[in-house]
Amino acid sequence: MRRPFLTAALAAAALYLAVPAGAAAPGVGECMDCHGDSTIEKTLPNGQALSLFVDLQAYRQSVHGKSSCVSCHADAKAPHDKLKKVSCEKCHGDAGKSYAGSSHGKLRAKGVTDVPGCDGCHGKHDIRKPTDPAARTFRLNIVATCLRCHKDRAIEQKYNLPDQKVMAAYEQSVHGMASKKSGLTGSAVCIDCHGNHAILPGDQPRSATHRQSIPTMCGKCHPGILEQYEKSVHGKGMRAGIAESPVCTDCHGEHTIAKVADPTSSVSPRNIPKTCSGCHEKGGISTRYAIQKKRFSSYMDSFHGIAVEYGMTKAANCSSCHGVHDILPSSDPASSVNKANIPKTCGKCHPNAGPNFAKGDVHVDVSPKKAMGVFAVRLFYTIFITSLVILFALHVGLELYGRWNRKKNNGSGGKEGQS
Amino acid sequence: MSRADLEAGQVIRMSLLFRVQHLLLTVLLTVLAVTGFALMYHENSLAQWIIRLEGGVHNRGIVHRVAAVLMMANLVYHVFYMLFSREGKPELRQLLIGRQDIDDFFQSLRYNIGTAKEYPRFGKYGYKEKFQYWGASAGIILISFTGIMLWAEGFSMVFFPKVVLDLAIVIHGYQGLLAFVILFLWHLYNVHLHPSVFPMNPSWITGKVSSEWMREEHPLEYEKLKREGHL
Repeated sequence: MRRPFLTAALAAAALYLAVPAGAAAPGVGECMDCHGDSTIEKTLPNGQALSLFVDLQAYRQSVHGKSSCVSCHADAKAPHDKLKKVSCEKCHGDAGKSYAGSSHGKLRAKGVTDVPGCDGCHGKHDIRKPTDPAARTFRLNIVATCLRCHKDRAIEQKYNLPDQKVMAAYEQSVHGMASKKSGLTGSAVCIDCHGNHAILPGDQPRSATHRQSIPTMCGKCHPGILEQYEKSVHGKGMRAGIAESPVCTDCHGEHTIAKVADPTSSVSPRNIPKTCSGCHEKGGISTRYAIQKKRFSSYMDSFHGIAVEYGMTKAANCSSCHGVHDILPSSDPASSVNKANIPKTCGKCHPNAGPNFAKGDVHVDVSPKKAMGVFAVRLFYTIFITSLVILFALHVGLELYGRWNRKKNNGSGGKEGQS
Repeated sequence: MSRADLEAGQVIRMSLLFRVQHLLLTVLLTVLAVTGFALMYHENSLAQWIIRLEGGVHNRGIVHRVAAVLMMANLVYHVFYMLFSREGKPELRQLLIGRQDIDDFFQSLRYNIGTAKEYPRFGKYGYKEKFQYWGASAGIILISFTGIMLWAEGFSMVFFPKVVLDLAIVIHGYQGLLAFVILFLWHLYNVHLHPSVFPMNPSWITGKVSSEWMREEHPLEYEKLKREGHL
């Protein structure tokens, strides 16, 4: 009784195992019979030669190296004609879906071939995990991978992309230097801001780099600063949907972001007044948000402004008094420029500036309403000096006239004194 | 006055010590004006060029303050000299403004219009010189006080609200402008361009003027010198 059962079981197992073998799918070794030859190539319709060589060693080291060729090239037989396109989506569904919604994916779907598909960034037979330092998608290699296309003038013009200089500027930025020069993987590379598969231009609401998403996006790595920003007048305005409320990039720049200590940085002490006044010197801002006018020009006329303009950067700039990420309106009791906190704020640099000193306006807007004293003294001197100049001129003119007159009458009279 | 001077018809108008004080003042006021106006008119491109030339705002400040300290020392010395020295005391007396100076001023106007026959007869200093001297003195004192207030800003902040320092800056700057206007339009005209001295009254270098000029321009002083036997 037991023997026939065993036989039947064995036969069933044998049959089960034999079926796929019977479909004659080729193994890697069989494929390599042809594709292991480094000279194998075919001629494309446009006359170009396409190498069909597959580097077995690179494949074996790739993330897919333990699979068989037919896992991706399902219709491959030996020998075969043109195979169907490989669909990565079969296994990587989520990535495929995000990619389909991206700028790259949409163009690709329209049949445009010079935008990257999966292989454009990940490679083909040599795909490695992003954590592998040899991978094209390893953090420190990402920039080179993206710049392969995005540094190309022709592509930039064809797709109306930002100037290639903008892209190149990243390499000089604090993020670029940290990854390229210092080799830090914690520093932001292209995908950290732009996303990877779902990449979209910043003007689209779903883009990772859309204005509304920027603070959260930067906050992924700078959470402490995001927390401060969210409490600030700028952050609250942004969350309230006020589009002109500044987000990180409005002050820091995008690809050009540099350290505060870098003199070229838009947030370096010397450039801060220009950066803030980019919005605050616009007429509309002060009326829309009831902010006092002439904050920039009055600052630039103060000793602080002049000193900073000429590179004496220890003098106060906007952020020295108003704060940086935590800027609050002066009406807020927590603000560093609230009337009650001014002595403390001035005291950071001027220990003797007590409550008595802090009376009155810090920004001197010279007008009868805002600063009567300064206005009056200026007016007095202007009138006084002008009158004096006129009187001098009259006196000199009169002397010359008298001289001329006396000469005309009696021929002498060159001298003032008695003759 | 030496015999040679007498023969050459020269009389002394500025002693060596006065010339030194005057020259110091000339140089220092020029330095102060160049460094000061560069800051006051910092938005002007020429001012920016000057500030860069002076090595930036910081170094400009150092130059300005060194010159200011020397100028104030010169001022203090001058005050003591005028109040207590044998040469200074009579000079000060002659510089005091009196009723006569106002009359002289109007007489000179009338003379030039043609309604007075005589030009006023001045002593060593006419109303122009006196106005110049007291104007400059008042200006220098005011500019020194405001300057010290701004320099010792940590000290000033204890006592004054910010608005006082704001005013001090305005006064300091405009007082400088006033001094500049008086010196360049009035003083330089009177000692260089005025027809009686053109191209230059030499006394600020040599200390001497011709007795002829003295007789014409400062007849009372001329007569006094003659009475005292200096001529």
